[in-house]
Amino acid sequence: MSTDIKKPRLRRGLVAATLVAAALATAGCAGVEPWERDLHARADMQADAHDAAIDDHIYFSKEASSGGRGFAGGGCGCN
Amino acid sequence: MQLKKKPIGATLAAATCSLLGSLPAAPAAAQEAKDWSIDTSLLYYGEDNGRVEDVSLMATIRRIFDEDRSLNATLTVDSLTGATPNGAVPANVPQTFTGPSGGGGYTVEPGEQPLDTTFLDTRTALSLSWQQAAGNATRWSVGFSGSDEYDYLHLGVDARLERDFNMRNTTAFVGLAYGQDDIKPVGGTPIGLSPMAGEVEDEDGDDDGDDRGRESEDSKDVADVLIGVTQVLSRRSLLEVAYSYGQSDGYLTDPYKILSVVDPVTGVPAASTEEGIPYLYLYEKRPDSRTKQSLFAEWRYALDRDSFALNFRFMDDDWGVQSQTAEARYRWNINDRSYLEPHLRWYTQSAADFYRTVLFAGDALPEFASADYRLADLDAYTIGAKYGLHTDHGEFSVRLEYYQQSPTESPGSAVGDLANLDLTPDMKAVIVQFGYQFDF
Repeated sequence: MSTDIKKPRLRRGLVAATLVAAALATAGCAGVEPWERDLHARADMQADAHDAAIDDHIYFSKEASSGGRGFAGGGCGCN
Repeated sequence: MQLKKKPIGATLAAATCSLLGSLPAAPAAAQEAKDWSIDTSLLYYGEDNGRVEDVSLMATIRRIFDEDRSLNATLTVDSLTGATPNGAVPANVPQTFTGPSGGGGYTVEPGEQPLDTTFLDTRTALSLSWQQAAGNATRWSVGFSGSDEYDYLHLGVDARLERDFNMRNTTAFVGLAYGQDDIKPVGGTPIGLSPMAGEVEDEDGDDDGDDRGRESEDSKDVADVLIGVTQVLSRRSLLEVAYSYGQSDGYLTDPYKILSVVDPVTGVPAASTEEGIPYLYLYEKRPDSRTKQSLFAEWRYALDRDSFALNFRFMDDDWGVQSQTAEARYRWNINDRSYLEPHLRWYTQSAADFYRTVLFAGDALPEFASADYRLADLDAYTIGAKYGLHTDHGEFSVRLEYYQQSPTESPGSAVGDLANLDLTPDMKAVIVQFGYQFDF
């Protein structure tokens, strides 16, 4: 079955992506001083939790995946 | 301009920690003069061909008590109407289906996708969360969520802990959530892979199916664990990586979905042996447990005036579904008062192992089967934009999105007559959202 072929590839992809992400995160640990974070403090650099909740609910209802950025959601017998 | 009102120091922790719904940092809250914040939206979601329409009102109220503590409450009311695919495939003959209650049947014209027109629902959801700092570098929250539909009740709790390291350049977080859902379908829970019967009289008038030998209700439990890190990479960029693991147990079947049974050569619907219904349809049946894991990463980058965000998600479950999602947003800060944010989303998933567009007469019944298009091999994309305007009274916004998904039938389904019919039509939807946010 085709899915049996895909699974190991995807798992390897997950592992590779985790390692890359961890490496990137570690590389950033040199540190940005507090007074250098004016750009991070801008409102447009903050996630919009309200819109994210709406989108999560829509896509949870229409696709087989959910969560990722937060909990997997649910709480509906969505059609 | 609202963006410049915040002192740099006030939002440092927010910049590192509030990405993607994590806890707002206490020092940021302390310097915001306003104790209350209200975020409201009115959403319209509409699919083509008379399928699902949803009008949703959502309001989030946030009360900041002092620099360490805050309470969030979100109330959502959804009103759903329209028709939803029942799982059967089109045919070259008229098809008659029985409604979920055992009555209320409907007929679908030749060549048309069978849609259950009895679909109508109102959903009310409430979530509450309490957030608190514990020292300078640690924050925690606990939450409750509940939602109610006439055939579905969800109750859940969640908790989250996060801690800053490395001069607040790094924030690690861990979250737990547990939910219990009670499902009470109209007409009871059908026996998986049993044939749809013709219309029957609901003898005791309570619509719960017990007079048809069905269980009137069932339930499922869902537990999730989330672990991740947010890292400031440079003066301009930020990366969040999160891994989540979810386990669902219980009744995971959709009680309203069926599968067509067709002749393996001609593709003609197989005759039913049930009284009062011409063709054979079987109720779907899914496994009673599902394990999902996903890896999510988001990268945000600030330009001098604008900013952008890219995110990716890989998801893998033990039903054989693997998916990848990519999103991009560009925030164009037109001037001090207004912005435009174009948005693109791409999604692809493989089919669940037990997804079958049709079943063939004469074949042995599989252990599990579903023709729900949401478990099919499918691709989807979203394109849209949000416009926001800051005024002295708050921020107004409008968001327009176009969503299209294209499912693919399971291999070998298009036999005989079915080769000339669209077994898994595309679905197109528009999303229109009006928002108003203000503090006081």
